[in-house]
This record gives sequence, C-alpha cells and structure tokens, in this order.
Amino acid sequence: MTVVDINRLLGPLPYDEVASRDPAGLVGELDRLRIDSACVVHTHAVYGDPRDGNESLTAVEETDGVRLRPVPVLIPGPLGTAEWQGSGGLVRLCPGEHRWSLTGGYALALAAALARTRTTVLLGWETVTAAEIDQLASALPTLRIILTGTGYRSLRELAELMDRHGELYVDTSTLTGHLQVEWFAGRYGARRVLFGTGAPVTDDAGPRFQLDTLALPDSETALIAGGNALRLLGEAEDP
Amino acid sequence: MTVIDAHGHLGRWSDFAIPDGSARSLVDVMDRCGVAIACVSHLLAVGPDARAGNALLLTDLAQHPGRLLGYAVFNPHDPQAPARLRDLMDAPGVIGVKLHPEVHELPLDHPAYAPAFDIAADRGRIVLAHSQHASAFSDPVRFAAVAPRYPELPLLMGHSGLWTSGFAPAAEAAARCPNLVLETCGTRMTTRHLLRLVAEAGAERIVFGSDAVFLDLRVGLGRVLLADLDEADRAQILHGTMDRLLKGLR
Repeated sequence: MTVVDINRLLGPLPYDEVASRDPAGLVGELDRLRIDSACVVHTHAVYGDPRDGNESLTAVEETDGVRLRPVPVLIPGPLGTAEWQGSGGLVRLCPGEHRWSLTGGYALALAAALARTRTTVLLGWETVTAAEIDQLASALPTLRIILTGTGYRSLRELAELMDRHGELYVDTSTLTGHLQVEWFAGRYGARRVLFGTGAPVTDDAGPRFQLDTLALPDSETALIAGGNALRLLGEAEDP
Repeated sequence: MTVIDAHGHLGRWSDFAIPDGSARSLVDVMDRCGVAIACVSHLLAVGPDARAGNALLLTDLAQHPGRLLGYAVFNPHDPQAPARLRDLMDAPGVIGVKLHPEVHELPLDHPAYAPAFDIAADRGRIVLAHSQHASAFSDPVRFAAVAPRYPELPLLMGHSGLWTSGFAPAAEAAARCPNLVLETCGTRMTTRHLLRLVAEAGAERIVFGSDAVFLDLRVGLGRVLLADLDEADRAQILHGTMDRLLKGLR
C-alpha cells in the first residue's frame, strides 16, 4: 500500500518549533510513520506572501523530488501569483489567509484555468464558507477540489456539498469523528477520500494509525492511503 | 498490553452528526484496535438531561460488562443530583463522576460541585472533568484550586487544557497537585505536545483518552502508539496510570 500525505506543511511555524522546519526533518517524520511521500506546501507561502514563499519549494525540488512533492500556493488577480501556466498536479488556495474572495472574478478566472489544465486544488475548509464552495463548484463542475481540515463537526454541511458536486473530495486530517472516514467512503465511495494530516499544525500519527485500522476492504483503504492522490496527480490511471 | 481508554462517550451530540454512537459500535472499534476497556459517559447526560442519560449509561454498561466502565454525569443545577449520584455510585460498572463545567456553565471550583466531589471521595471513586484553557469555567487553574480540597480523590483533567496554549498550564497544575491526572484526547493534541506533557508531568500522571464516540478512538490511540515515546512511558499512559486508579477504587 502506497501512502501519500496529500496535506502537509514544510518549513518553520511562527508559534512552535517543529521537526519539519526543513526537508530532512520532514522526511524523518515520514519515515517514522511509514508515509511514502507528502505533498508539501511551504509555510513561507501560507504565513507569508506566496509570491515569495513558493520559491522556498525550490530547495525541495533540488534536494528531493520523490518523498516531497512541492505544491505551490496561488493567489488570483493583479496582486497575486502569476497567471497559471502549469498543467495537472496540485496547488493550494488560501483565500482566508491571503484575504481574497473565493467567488470573485479573479478567483473564478484562476479556477477556470485550473479546471482547464486538470489541476487539482487543495482548499482549507475553515478559511471559506460552504456557500462559497458551493458557488465555486457550481460555476466550475470539472474543477477537482480537495477540502482539507474539514473537522469532525461539519458532516452535515459536507454531505450536502458532496452530494451536489462529484469533483469534491475530502482529506482525513481532521475527519476525526467516530467512524466518519468509513461513513464518507460508504456514501460517496473511497475514491473521494484522501489520506492527509495537515501536520505539523494538526496531528499526523492519529490519522496514520486510523489508516491502518479502517473497517474497509483493502482495495478501498489503498485508494484512501495513496491511490486517489496518485490518480489526481496524474501518476495512476483512473480505475 | 491492555489498553484502557479513560475518556469516552456513548450516544449523540447536538451540533454535529455522529453516524453511529451506539455502545456496540464503540466496542467494535475497541476490538479492531486492541482496546480492552473504555470508561464512558452518555452524551445525553453530558448535554441536556443527566438523569435520562445516566439511565441509558447503566443499560449500556450492563450489556458490555468488563468492556465499558461508566462515569455518571453530575449536573450541579439539578437539586436531585446528589441523591441520584449516591445511587449511581452503587450501580455495576460505575467508576466515578463526569463533570462538564462548559456545558453546565459553572466553574469547576464552584461550591455547587461540592456534593459530587464529596460523594466521589467518600466512595473512593474517580472524577473526570472537561478542561479548557482560558475558559472561565474549566481552565487548569480551576483544577488546581479544587484538587487540594480532596487530596485522596483522583481528578482527571480531560483534554489537558484542550487548546495548545493550555497544555503547559495543565502540566503546571499537575505539578502542584499530586492527585491531578492529565488526559490526552482532543483535536489539537499532537505527538510533540504529548512528548512535552510527558517531559513536564511524567507518564505516571497521564492517561490515554480518546473522546470516542465524539471523536474516533483510533486517532487518539494512534497518537500515543506512534509517538516517539520510551516504551515504558507508552505503556504507562495506555494502561499503567489508569490501571492504578481503577485498582484504587473502593
């Protein structure tokens, strides 16, 4: 079973000391928890301006292109990151942290480019509203959005969104209510649930152990563990 | 090793959906990941109706003897609560009292809780109380205020302050009060926070708790199982500390 953490931070935190402040420390954490690779956003791009912060991912690309998968943070509009030139892969949007509207014209233009290029979006649940997600997903139904950090109290709101939009996915980082991962997999299929930790802001060990003890068939657990991530990254076929 | 979960629940809650909060569902998860015993209260009792919820607890305890142990919830606003608590302490499987100062909107060191502490101390039981740093009701300083009044009573600080800002104050309170025991569940807790708690308070002052079925038992358990802990400390948290407290019950 390949394990890919879809939601990981690399770099120092402003309010705590963490082992993953540098690539070597983060790889050590992955080794300890038997995680094969992680999609990493740099903290400079979340807690700073991504126009500068994304450059810190260059060190990852130079030192490690296998265990750590660089994920840029994007901002739409004239004061944002440059027009999206990529294709496929994964990006993160942080409208709450960077103070822009997820449903404004600039955002919709960026989202259209991401949908057109089959680029998957990581979007933090706590930084936007369910109504904004609904509006974005309705405007761009082919845009693949992985909602991260959904928490354990949002099941009802999430269910309505997941029912309405087939390209919405959730990560397991804080999907920590009793048997909620199994509930999602049962209702929406395991292909719409991805292992993620949100570490080091949120815990990595708990979701990792949960992965080993899911009450699901091995084939579905494998999808959650890494199969879905590899498919969305374009590294595996859609079964 | 026999894992004991010191902080769990049965039932459902108001502001989010628990798809299956039954005792059977919890025991299934316990079986799946090697947890022998869970010490639980009923969420109906923690929430709107301690009387009705405690009755449901007794039914579930009777259906899962040896696997589930119970905390009876004490609502300090209920004039019948002291008398009811005395009876509940005699029920099979009940090991102590659950207090939730946030729900009941009364500080933990308020005199209205005195009957609950008195009864638990008299009967040689355990008290588990929700804690929440910077709250007027359940900040760790409230625990440090009340614990010395009952020096023989084990007082479990549920969530160890809950927020990341609360873990250090929780450890400080434990250092001042020998009968305070820190409990590990909560969504803000990570392995590095747990390691710091162990360094500051000692594993013999910490018990594993999951908050299931509020939270997924496996997430809380994995945090202890996969933390970079000394094996003796891990065993102490998962089993040793709570085993000592349970063996101390009269």
